[in-house]
Amino acid sequence: MEKQTASSDNKNVLLKMEGICKEFPGVKALDNVNLTVKAGTVHALMGENGAGKSTLMKCLFGVYNKDSGHIYLEGNEINFKTSKEALENGVAMVHQELNQALKRNVMDNMWLGRFPKISKWCPLTSEKKMYDATAKVFEELDVQVDPRTIMSRMPVSQRQMVEIAKAVSFNSKVIVFDEPTSSLTEEEVEHLFRIINMLRDRGCGIIYISHKMEEILRISDEVTIMRDGQWVATRPAKELTMNEIIRLMVGRELTNRYPQKDNKIGESILQVKNLTAQYSLLKDVSFEAKAGEVLGVAGLDGSGRTELLENIFGIATRKEGEIYLHGKRVMNRNARESLANKFAMLTEERRATGIFGIRDIQANTTISSLRKYKKGPFLSDKLMSESTEWGINAMRTKTPSQKTQIRSLSGGNQQKVILARWLLTDPEVLLLDEPTRGIDVGAKYEIYQLILDLAKQGKTIIMVSSEMPELLGVCDRILVMSGGRLSGEVGANETTQEEIMTLAAKYA
Amino acid sequence: MQESKQQPEQRETPQLRGLYSKVKISVRTLNIIIVVLVVLLIACMAYGISKGGFRVSFDTQGGTPVEMQSGIMYGEKIEPPEEPTREGFAFDGWYLDPDGTVAFDAASDPVTESMTLYAGWREK
Amino acid sequence: MAENKLKAKEQAFKELSSKDKTKKITDLLLNNAMYIIIVLAVIYISIKVPAFLKLPSIVNVISLTAAKLPIALGIGGCIVLTGTDISAGRVVGLTACISASLLTTTFKVFPDMTSAPPIIVVLLLIIVAGGLVGLVNGFSVAKFKLHPFIVTLSTQLIVYGIILMYLMRGTNNGQTLSGLTDGYRNLVTGTLFSIPTATGSVAVPRYVLYSIILVVLMWVIWNKTTFGKNMFAVGSNEEAANVSGVNVSKTIIMVFVLAGMMYAITGFLDGARIASANANTGLNYECDAIAACVIGGVSFVGGIGRISGIVVGVLLLQIIFTGLNFLAVDANMLYIIKGLIILIACAIDMRKYLVKK
Repeated sequence: MEKQTASSDNKNVLLKMEGICKEFPGVKALDNVNLTVKAGTVHALMGENGAGKSTLMKCLFGVYNKDSGHIYLEGNEINFKTSKEALENGVAMVHQELNQALKRNVMDNMWLGRFPKISKWCPLTSEKKMYDATAKVFEELDVQVDPRTIMSRMPVSQRQMVEIAKAVSFNSKVIVFDEPTSSLTEEEVEHLFRIINMLRDRGCGIIYISHKMEEILRISDEVTIMRDGQWVATRPAKELTMNEIIRLMVGRELTNRYPQKDNKIGESILQVKNLTAQYSLLKDVSFEAKAGEVLGVAGLDGSGRTELLENIFGIATRKEGEIYLHGKRVMNRNARESLANKFAMLTEERRATGIFGIRDIQANTTISSLRKYKKGPFLSDKLMSESTEWGINAMRTKTPSQKTQIRSLSGGNQQKVILARWLLTDPEVLLLDEPTRGIDVGAKYEIYQLILDLAKQGKTIIMVSSEMPELLGVCDRILVMSGGRLSGEVGANETTQEEIMTLAAKYA
Repeated sequence: MQESKQQPEQRETPQLRGLYSKVKISVRTLNIIIVVLVVLLIACMAYGISKGGFRVSFDTQGGTPVEMQSGIMYGEKIEPPEEPTREGFAFDGWYLDPDGTVAFDAASDPVTESMTLYAGWREK
Repeated sequence: MAENKLKAKEQAFKELSSKDKTKKITDLLLNNAMYIIIVLAVIYISIKVPAFLKLPSIVNVISLTAAKLPIALGIGGCIVLTGTDISAGRVVGLTACISASLLTTTFKVFPDMTSAPPIIVVLLLIIVAGGLVGLVNGFSVAKFKLHPFIVTLSTQLIVYGIILMYLMRGTNNGQTLSGLTDGYRNLVTGTLFSIPTATGSVAVPRYVLYSIILVVLMWVIWNKTTFGKNMFAVGSNEEAANVSGVNVSKTIIMVFVLAGMMYAITGFLDGARIASANANTGLNYECDAIAACVIGGVSFVGGIGRISGIVVGVLLLQIIFTGLNFLAVDANMLYIIKGLIILIACAIDMRKYLVKK
């Protein structure tokens, strides 16, 4: 039935995703999402971080299995198991993170997994065919790259062009662009738009994911907006304004999403002077933070926010810069030293650098403060379980027992365990990198409450977040980073999202 | 910045490090593999048991050859082998090592593994 | 309490749909396939050869288990770190040769010596030697981030070369070292206690006691010390451990050094147990030890493992091989069986921790 309506209603519908649901334990990532892409149009997909855009795309490409819903390509139901299968059926994606074999040349990357053979009878790969085909695609797209160039010798923007050319070379009908402009210069963006327009005129359906409003309004024909894993609206781009999009994306009142701020700000205890990183773009950042203060760090992705925290905590190599705590210089050369200097850091990628997945709650809670439980050369089980109990109660962690593996908890509860781990080290300065990423709305509120409680106890909290409303709702002051530098400092009560956005774009 | 970082946590797909972190095989396939391997193991054991029996070979160290004995079960004794002869030497019995330090009494010592016995010689 | 739990489980099982039931049973069967095979094999063997379950044979299995335990305890730590150590067998060989060359009455390797040094000095010496090899392994793994397999492969070769050269020293000319002192042999293989039976008595050798002491020691280290906790943390997530303030390099080095010391003790016991040592002593010991660890649930995913599991693993492996020997299975076939057992153990281990999509 549905199939018929899908094909008969509008002939030019290329891709139709209907009622897609995907649930991860504790988080409903996608809730009944619809997306319809017509042939010969650019369809923008928008939403805040964590709204479910990339989860939706991963369901399309078979990276995740959707729980329910249907996907139709040109009226036929599809269910790709792998991205290779998707590619072969004319659905391609230009990833923001480029997965390329950097040591190989351009054409090797273009034809990876489908190297042309010299002939039917000769199974050797044909360099010539590969070269010609690559050159032809490049010519079509007006890309000035020798197909024999080694990938690692090319700038990121050109590598991205190769990725786009690869998608085109599959004769794809649907091409997904995931934040394609984040590493491109203005000129290159123009080039990209020319390519996208050309593909559109050929009758391709383009899904364009981006945070940049101007781009969206310029290039797209239709816009679908998602929020918290739900479909919010699909409108023609002409009818939308920037403010309208923001309203649809944010869509909720700020007041009840954040707890009451009643922390008292004390003296300035932490000074960071001219912090410059050795291996990242962080450059010449100076600021100070006060006791009992929640200091936010805003900025676009890749603006050096995470690098700032990592440099303070000593897990990234510092080139220059001094850090003073209580007027005394601290070196913080590695995590152990920072720990001893009463710093603590909640890392951004909880799974990669936060939790010990297969270890239990107790092991995860006590790992940073083991010396506290020593009795002679041995560790006291009693002290450890007492501390863990304290952590569970203080954080209101929901767990069956201390002996539960941490990976079986929801994201929010995992985050609470890690917070408890750090609190057990009695830190004075807490560095929180995206403390609410991948956490349910309800659990977020609890984390905010915990952060404010800690500030009330006089701890200094430096919090990085991509979610601007969150920074405005929780922080006292907000530092704005841009291109690795500090581009401004604003009071959370006096500023607006627009002001922060402007500052964030200053050096970008 | 990276979209992948924005994924909600998944309970069933923890980022396990270690040797299996990149294993992409399905549980079903793995089940089949395990069953096949188990069957293979049992077959090997059954074959090993059916062909069971230790081999005792004799190294006469220059004397006349003595035939190998096989199919001896655990704890059984070998049939007393015929004594080899060697010119200029007198046979001195069987030993477990070529140097003739650990003696093996074929009539009373039970066999517990496959082995080679070395003839001991005394100069006449 | 336990009864209630069991009943609750039974109840829960009954409530499952038939499809879930089959799934649960399959899970149970496959995850425990190794144990099931071994139990079945033991039953079969004891029917065919009743002597297998008699006291002398049991004591024999236990002693052999005890002899192979220390090396498995050492390798277990390396596996918890998602690594492995294939130099183990050669370190056992080296330390066995050193012990046998010094605690001897013939002194072929050191012709100038006239009397054996005190046993404790030799023991300490070889523990240092084993620890040194472990240090090289651990340092390379921790600082150069080389895969433990490659590192220990090279140390394995180096140690083998050292053994061969060592055996060429003096008047020995590469021959098997024997003629150990009574003190040394007695210390290791002397009777701990004997169990009287109808046909005489069965002696339990002293090294069983030493193995038990080592098991207890390792259990304490793994479970009750900062080092142990750090080891599991590094094994389960190195990055997170680093951020949490664990000294990752030091932990890795210590695990390998500790492992090296355990191999040294194995070598010390083995020299006296076999009453001789040569270049082939300890050959392939690491295979048995790794297999035992994997069977005992020390997982290659890292950060998982228990001392009790290792003990059970070594014991089970010993039981099955002693049993197969009772059935006079050809030694060549035993290698194939051993390889298959490792493969199955790995597949089962993988099945338990496989990323489900």
